[in-house]
Amino acid sequence: MQAIKKHSWKKRLEAKEKRTEKMKDITSSRIIPTNKIVQALETLIQPGDRVVLEGNNQKQASFLSAALAKADPEKLYDLHMIMSSISRPEHLDLFEYGIAKKVDFSYAGPQSLRIAQMLEDGKLTMGEIHTYVELYGRLFIDLIPSVALVAADKADASGNLYTGPNTEETPTLVEAAAFRDGIVIAQVNELADELPRVDIPGSWIDYVVVADKPYQLEPLFTRDPRHITDIQVLQAMMIIRGIYEKHQVKSLNHGIGYNTAAVELLLPTYGEKLGLKGKICKHWALNPHPTLIPAIESGWVDSVHCFGGEVGMEKYVASRRDVFFTGRDGSLRSNRTLCQLAGQYAVDLFVGSSLQIDAYGNSSTVTRGRLAGFGGAPNMGHDPGGRRHSSEAWLDMKTNDDPLARGKKLVVQVVETFQNGNKPVFVESLDALDVKKDANLATAPVMIYGEDVTHIVTEEGIAYLYKANSMEERREAIAAIAGVTPLGLEHDVRKTDKLRREGLIALPEDLGIRRTEAKRSLLAAKNVEELVEWSEGLYEPPAKFRSW
Amino acid sequence: MKLAFLFPGQGSQKPNMLDELPEHPAALAVLEEAREVLGESACNFDSKDALISTVSVQISLLVSSVAILRVFEAEGVYPDFAAGHSAGAFSAAVACKTIRFADALRMIKLRGQLMEKTFPSGYGMGVITGMDKRTVKELVNSCFIKSEPVYTANINAPDQITISGSINALNKVIDIAANSGARTAELLNVNIPSHCSLLNSVSKSLQEELSQIKFRQPVIPYACNRTARLLKSPEQIREDLALNVSHPVMWHDISSILCEHGTRLFIEMPPGNVLTSLSKKARPGARSFSVDENGIRNCLVMARRFCSEHS
Repeated sequence: MQAIKKHSWKKRLEAKEKRTEKMKDITSSRIIPTNKIVQALETLIQPGDRVVLEGNNQKQASFLSAALAKADPEKLYDLHMIMSSISRPEHLDLFEYGIAKKVDFSYAGPQSLRIAQMLEDGKLTMGEIHTYVELYGRLFIDLIPSVALVAADKADASGNLYTGPNTEETPTLVEAAAFRDGIVIAQVNELADELPRVDIPGSWIDYVVVADKPYQLEPLFTRDPRHITDIQVLQAMMIIRGIYEKHQVKSLNHGIGYNTAAVELLLPTYGEKLGLKGKICKHWALNPHPTLIPAIESGWVDSVHCFGGEVGMEKYVASRRDVFFTGRDGSLRSNRTLCQLAGQYAVDLFVGSSLQIDAYGNSSTVTRGRLAGFGGAPNMGHDPGGRRHSSEAWLDMKTNDDPLARGKKLVVQVVETFQNGNKPVFVESLDALDVKKDANLATAPVMIYGEDVTHIVTEEGIAYLYKANSMEERREAIAAIAGVTPLGLEHDVRKTDKLRREGLIALPEDLGIRRTEAKRSLLAAKNVEELVEWSEGLYEPPAKFRSW
Repeated sequence: MKLAFLFPGQGSQKPNMLDELPEHPAALAVLEEAREVLGESACNFDSKDALISTVSVQISLLVSSVAILRVFEAEGVYPDFAAGHSAGAFSAAVACKTIRFADALRMIKLRGQLMEKTFPSGYGMGVITGMDKRTVKELVNSCFIKSEPVYTANINAPDQITISGSINALNKVIDIAANSGARTAELLNVNIPSHCSLLNSVSKSLQEELSQIKFRQPVIPYACNRTARLLKSPEQIREDLALNVSHPVMWHDISSILCEHGTRLFIEMPPGNVLTSLSKKARPGARSFSVDENGIRNCLVMARRFCSEHS
């Protein structure tokens, strides 16, 4: 009688065991010798695999990415890369060499021109561009990885990993591979007998390799207060008075930028003057911005949860345990996945900047010819329909008594009416539409949709878009603060008073702000040195921010 | 962390600039080789009067840049990338070792002669700052007529665009630009409409001549003027050297792509500091130096320190 071949329900595990079997020529333990990494990657990865590579925002698994780029393209080809952030030259070299073919990603800012060129030249195939948390979500649905290449500070003999302040999204990336019979390879700066704490358990990790040098870490969230302008101070004052105070914003996320840095630095001075300490800005979803130090020291901040770490802030964070999320070992624990979730559902407000806004508030940061992707901004900058709990600020967005009416997340865009080079920020039609055509995208890469924007702040004033009852009113309110851009010139100045009376716009004087007050001298710290002083010497700025 | 050498084009020349070359054996060797190729001293080409001709300008630029390139090489400093602006692309090709200096010199002399012959008068270039590419393009299109053509040319920065064509049309565009909010809008001191299709015949002749010359596999990537890609193919470099005179130079994109490939130190060969100024503004995360402005000694020190810190 012929044996009926049974269907295997563990094909993935069997495939994994086949691959790890072949490793016995390279290592008999879970430690891959540093000089055998290329060979190991060629053994553990197969052509066509879906590979997650860190490619995070701050942290880069630079040893593993450099090694992967050295793989023999005859052995490894057509890989499908899944990356939060395309940051390093070798990330795109993988495609030049034919090692990788397709990519799904979230952010490509540091490689935005090259990826656009390679797309145009047909040197890579793009899957989709995502926000961070969408990409992580798909790791568990239809972009399940076979291999995860990650970076950690230390590993012990059992493969437990310490990632410390730079944990970022590593646990999530590892989980998707580890629990689907994928292979997880972690580069570490060093092996240790004992870890300060365990961030990722060894039973999730297949292989560890000691890198030839520490993984690359970029200080992306440090802004030197020296570059903040008087106009940005004016806008920050309007935000604090006209939005945070008005709506009693208790929890928030700041998109990185000089205008939000100005807000952070005005809390201990202008915010204090208004008597707002303890009433606003208590809980933050935020990377450890050095510009938040004065507000923390002055007692404004109850808590900060971080997406990732920030080079130079380690000691300061560790010494302010009551504010940050720190482990028993004393160092920061960041987690991008959870922080993005918190920033989506659990905060009152998001504020960020933009390069272009159209007449209805649709906002985009694309530049023609470049493909930077989205990162986390659209996730922060939208009103999540699934939210059910209310807060004071959220309820303040309700504009009618409809029994089914709900509140909204406050989504604020702060821009000057012109970018440098005389480019109006307010435009009839976003460049995003051209980028859609040029790059053959399914949808235009809009960062934040107008229907989600509740406030726009320019150097002219604030538009309270959540109050607009029609598209026309929305357009009118925006035009009223769009200065002398073509859109702004549409505005009939005789309508301004009406809009002010109805609360659709507010000018600085309506908020009791005199433009002459808006000076850099109001900033709690005017340069990096002063930030260091505020931190009692605990903040250690990287060399490029030190001018002394 | 990579090092890029930048090679200036027309506009950067200065009278007697070859006198400023150091008395370094490597520089002197280049001057000697130039004398052999040209049949006379290269210094005959850099007097104030001689520089009226684009032939002299281009010869002097190549000799000056390559002389200093060879000094760096003799001192053990080699770039990771080479990028030349327009005529400077020939120096960049020499730096990549895809073409010999003698061949580059012959070719650049021919390039200058062909350019001069094609449009003896009535044409030139202009530059507009404080306006973006799209706006300038719309302006240029609105002023274009077949008998008085004008085109957008080089994109040196997001808000620094050059234009090329007949003088009358250039002046029209400049007038409108000045009244539409441009920061500056003026004619350039050149009498040839470079970097637009008016010079197609020059490119064609250059293509024929260049096809006779041996191009070798470059040792470092070369920045393509037209497409802002980094090229490693000798054929593609040959093509760019022929075509760059009749196409816009995408300098801003070249600057960006060099940084995306890891460049954090830019050193501009003499003469001048035009490319360094652009680089400082466009790439604040990188350091930019010009041999002319900062001195060869300082640039050598910077390059060595940088290379050892970031190997």
